[in-house]
Amino acid sequence: MGLESKLGDNIFTTTVDKFVNWGRKNSLWPMPFGTACCAIEMMAALASKFDLSRFGAEVIRFSPRQSDLLIVSGRISLKMMPVLKKIYDQMPEPKWVISMGACASSGGVFDTYTLIQGVDQFIPVDVYIPGCPPRPEDLIDAVIHIQQIVDQESVSKKRMEKRAIAGSRG
Amino acid sequence: MSEEKEETPEEQQPLVVQKAQEKYSDAILEVSDARGELTIVVRKDVIHGLMEFLKNSPELVYDYLVDVTAVDYSLMEDVLTKYDYARFMVVYHLYSHKNRARLRVKVPVHEKELHIPSMASLWRAANWLERETYDMFGITFDNHPDLRRILMPDDYEGHPLRKDYPLRGRGERESFNFERQNA
Ligand code: SF4
Repeated sequence: MGLESKLGDNIFTTTVDKFVNWGRKNSLWPMPFGTACCAIEMMAALASKFDLSRFGAEVIRFSPRQSDLLIVSGRISLKMMPVLKKIYDQMPEPKWVISMGACASSGGVFDTYTLIQGVDQFIPVDVYIPGCPPRPEDLIDAVIHIQQIVDQESVSKKRMEKRAIAGSRG
Repeated sequence: MSEEKEETPEEQQPLVVQKAQEKYSDAILEVSDARGELTIVVRKDVIHGLMEFLKNSPELVYDYLVDVTAVDYSLMEDVLTKYDYARFMVVYHLYSHKNRARLRVKVPVHEKELHIPSMASLWRAANWLERETYDMFGITFDNHPDLRRILMPDDYEGHPLRKDYPLRGRGERESFNFERQNA
């Protein structure tokens, strides 16, 4: 290309999207929302054996304001849903959500008076993980899926479009 | 070692029944022992006095309140007929560290008089356990220091562990106000 040949060997040209996405996807900061047994698998995925840091997502933050990936792992009750919603709202854009396990995604076996039958009624979910509980590899797979989603996004495109469709009840 | 372990409950468990019967003979409705699990069913009017006695008697010393809960017997005809159609039973589980002995105390409670004395003045553990029982069954505990719901949201209606409460609720999942709840 014309411009690159003039800049020499040390300078590459790329698009802003590619560059920003490259940074974002390889440095996801998860916010763990572990309310039940699935959280144990999430912890395993983060610990040395499965080691989520191989995928750049090991900086677990317990402050939503410092994170960009919400991992909902466990049952969410009526009383907990406003808390989860508030945590989600506190996370700065851009942000992504993994709904881990049968309970977070659909209520699982707990089709009862107090359990939210899928958190996607209230917050937009990017990746669902099936299983009860899913293995740590499944969570790693989901993080890789998130990375692919991040890779396709654009810094200029309004992310709000997606939000508006998904979080209709929230 | 093993001898000692087997002797203690066998000596102690009849003792507690003896002592209780000495003091509250006519109020003890039933004593049963299922594989070493001692259960006594007691009339409601003596429950506070009896529990105080079980806790403070120097021989018995049931110093640890393990659990307070209730059972809704409305679908079990045989139990209902036995206790004058009392729908609920409040169940206390006690443990004596001194004697290493456990005791279950059950109290039939009628739906018309859905209240029972609070044990919070005897064991502080009773505070939250009774709140849970109130939340789940709607049984009120007299003289409880702070009788509020503990598990369900404050503005929840109904008591979900009652047998006539539908498993999937009465539409709370759909109608619950998620905005008003202060997270
Ligand atoms: S999906 Fe299974 S493992 Fe996960 S929170 Fe629900 S019951 Fe627990």
